[in-house]
Amino acid sequence: MSEANGKSKHLLYDNGGQAVRDQPWIFRTYAGHSNARESNKLYRSNLDKGQTGLSIAFDLPTQCGYSSDHAIARPEIGKVGVPINSLDDFHTLFEGIPIEKMNTSMTINATSMWLLALYVALARERGENAALLQGTTQNDIIKEYLARGTYIFPPEASLRMIAEMYEYSLGNIPKWNASNICSYHLQEAGATPAQELAFALANAIGILDLIRQRGQIQGEDFEKVVGRISFFVNAGIRFVEEMCKMRAFTELWEEITRDRYGVKNPRYRIFRYGVQVNSLGLTESQPENNAWRILIEALGVSLSRKARCRALQLPAWNEALSLPRPWDQQWSLRLQQILAYETDLLEYPDIFDGSVVIESKVGALKEEARKEIDRILGMGGVRSAVESGYMKSALVRSMSERVSRINSGDQIVVGLNRWTEALPSPLLGGDDGGVFKIDPAAARETLEALQKLKTQRDGSKVEKALQRLREAARSGQNMMEPSIECALARVTTGEWAGALREVFGEYRPATGIEGQKLMLEDQRVQDLRKRVDDYAARNGRRPRIVVGKPGLDGHSNGAEVIAVSARHTGFDVIYSGIRLTPEEIVQSAVEENADIIGVSILSGSHLELADQLMERLRRSGAEIPVVFGGIIPPPDFDALRQRGVQAIFTPRDYSLMDIMEKIMTLIEERQAARR
Amino acid sequence: MSEAELLDLAARAIDRDTWSIARLITLFEDRRPQCAADRALVLKHLERAGARPDGRFLGMTGAPGAGKSSLIGRAAQRLIESDHQVSLAVLAVDPSSHISGGAILGDRTRVRFPLDERRLFFRSQASDQELGGVSRSTFQAGRLLMRLFDLIVVETVGIGQNEIEIQYIADRVYLVMQPMAGDQVQFMKAGIMEIPDCFILNKCDQEDATRPTYHALRVSMSFARPGEERQLPVLLTSAQSGAGIDDLVADWKSVRNGHGRHSLLDREAYYFQRWVRDEFGRQGLLRLQSSHGSAVDFLRKAGDFDQAQLKFAAEQAN
Repeated sequence: MSEANGKSKHLLYDNGGQAVRDQPWIFRTYAGHSNARESNKLYRSNLDKGQTGLSIAFDLPTQCGYSSDHAIARPEIGKVGVPINSLDDFHTLFEGIPIEKMNTSMTINATSMWLLALYVALARERGENAALLQGTTQNDIIKEYLARGTYIFPPEASLRMIAEMYEYSLGNIPKWNASNICSYHLQEAGATPAQELAFALANAIGILDLIRQRGQIQGEDFEKVVGRISFFVNAGIRFVEEMCKMRAFTELWEEITRDRYGVKNPRYRIFRYGVQVNSLGLTESQPENNAWRILIEALGVSLSRKARCRALQLPAWNEALSLPRPWDQQWSLRLQQILAYETDLLEYPDIFDGSVVIESKVGALKEEARKEIDRILGMGGVRSAVESGYMKSALVRSMSERVSRINSGDQIVVGLNRWTEALPSPLLGGDDGGVFKIDPAAARETLEALQKLKTQRDGSKVEKALQRLREAARSGQNMMEPSIECALARVTTGEWAGALREVFGEYRPATGIEGQKLMLEDQRVQDLRKRVDDYAARNGRRPRIVVGKPGLDGHSNGAEVIAVSARHTGFDVIYSGIRLTPEEIVQSAVEENADIIGVSILSGSHLELADQLMERLRRSGAEIPVVFGGIIPPPDFDALRQRGVQAIFTPRDYSLMDIMEKIMTLIEERQAARR
Repeated sequence: MSEAELLDLAARAIDRDTWSIARLITLFEDRRPQCAADRALVLKHLERAGARPDGRFLGMTGAPGAGKSSLIGRAAQRLIESDHQVSLAVLAVDPSSHISGGAILGDRTRVRFPLDERRLFFRSQASDQELGGVSRSTFQAGRLLMRLFDLIVVETVGIGQNEIEIQYIADRVYLVMQPMAGDQVQFMKAGIMEIPDCFILNKCDQEDATRPTYHALRVSMSFARPGEERQLPVLLTSAQSGAGIDDLVADWKSVRNGHGRHSLLDREAYYFQRWVRDEFGRQGLLRLQSSHGSAVDFLRKAGDFDQAQLKFAAEQAN
């Protein structure tokens, strides 16, 4: 109770006696697939259902700077998002959508500058005022090096592009968030809450330090840039701790912006963040349980008013099986609507203020995070900590600890390592088996549009625009305006990225798995090591496995955990990181005389990649067994087996020793057959 | 494997068929006693077909993070572009786990050779808990590769000061360092600084950091190796920008064209002694000396390295 104006007034009510209601957050659904036309249809129907912003998923070739007609792009067109090759595709994608009123979030990183340039060019051609555009380009390259894998250029060039986008946006598109610091993917890669806090904040410090050091933005303008830094955060199942993490984020950001950057205006010190809740903990077995997990995880980022998210997007219950269908996305959207409009959640001030327990938990997280931030800054900042492999190694270690806990049963996952007996799920019934399938004809439409564009555009204009871009890249000028010119000249995504690859080169970061240990020691591990040692004694060498990550999908956790497990049980492991062609993986396996090839694929392109891989293997003359792992729907198992894949592992096979035993058995059988 | 299979593999290996070379390396790495006879057969066949043991060994050593793999990858590609005859194989050694014995072999990450280029070959080896920076199998694989390739680059584990084994294999040893490694230079001067024939300062796109490191290195060299007549060369390279790669390639080529540091017999004698020590301990070494004089004498009498192993092992069994 408080006394104000001599009139008794409850904290919860305003002067008129009405509950002090918070605004609901922005409801988003991460969406995009097949091609620009199909995705446009999807966005319009989602907006009709009450969605209040767009969150665009791009396919992997677009994210990695390849046009759809590039060899490495072919198997991936339209799989995990929409393919965008040129400004024509953007016209199709946003047809009938008022971009000047829309809040558009683009999950795009290495090619962010290009996609923003396309968006500005779209506004210009439509005759809209580009200054009105609002939204976010994700544009967090650090977490790409660490977790997500869609990087192209080395850190220095990539960070320069981010800084240039801030500098351009400030004067031209003031409501645009040029980048968005993502701790989301760090948690997916295994980060603990303190690591998530520290790595994200160190990342933000890296960007702001760079912009300050470049010296083009100063004084009050610099405060505005600080105010435009936004975050994209994960929320896991330990929702009390996650809520505390969010409070720790807001408090630490307040301190950093005030003390390190001297931001005076409190408005620019607010920690603004959007959320996608955790996908890592969603299970393929008993997938209906994921609905509850998603609900609980949403509570972690909405309960505390002081640390409530600005925008929320929820995964779908079947995310561990495939991409969501429209109905699955609708179900997740309804969850948000019920939470915001049916419950009394938004009617209260912060309900945790004054809680001793929460305060102490927040304090502990902050302290741990501060120490880690200091450590990273001591190494010379986030760029050095990436280049030295420090951050990646820390994440791989956290991830292997998590996997070890699940394998040993110390961490309970319902339906996965406890209470695994269950009735068949009716959600998996129906003609489509509860999963989403891309129409293979969709890619054809994209390729035809690209072909048409290439014949119709003015080639000399294209070359001139690209030349200007190269010059800007070399001379250190801001590359935004030259990129917009490229967009208007109908340069393609592959050409834009190709020109910059010529100037900056391509980057291959540390894999982070050297020196990693698995915290798993039990009888099964001992037994398997014995089997491996016996094999080595019989055959004169240890079993050798090539772990490969073909194509453009950069989610390398699975491959890394398998590589570390194999070494843990005594294998010699050849692992060369992400983004290899199937041909390169076969080449490694042949040169190394591997006993088995293990391939990890999460992009949905397993059939196409299996074709390429097996074809190359046949041509080399080597007979090496191949196993697949990743997000592979059971209906595809037969097709993979027909292509010669000897075993298929999915998230349901969480037991590492089961997997390693199976792999060892395949190797032993092959050896026996050769005798 | 049957004799016919071995001969077939050897014939294909001479044409540098990748899969055949890969399988033969496995035979040469195999430490089971029965493999020595197979190796002898393969070598005899290679010899008859004109594959001479003329390949030269380049040792690339240096701390982790110095960029050895990227540098080797870049220089190897430049080498084969600049000379359409030359061929090169890489043997990259990574550390094994002391707990499980397994290893992560990650050097390929930074070396991406063009597909179907038979003049380039890359193979990883686990150190197999050996100290000294190379594996016991490095010399064995080298014996094969030196008959198939002009140059064999051996990339050592890259940890610690005791990476001195490489000098017994390599015709020329390069120590790769990165700028700002001044402390490391100090640290290493007693051990590894004595080994290299050539220093490489890599990552030299960081100009500010390069100069002080260059001078620190020069000073350390004069401490570590007093009285040396000529100044050892220091190459400045950058695997990223390509700077200095041509100098390194030229240096590699000079090794190919010059005299080797070790004769094949020297190397075999050294590794034969090591093998005797590994298998039969100090007693074995004493017996070798007392009944046969030196390792060189024994190798000469036995005919070749594999026969010597077979013969010595048979003697010990009696």
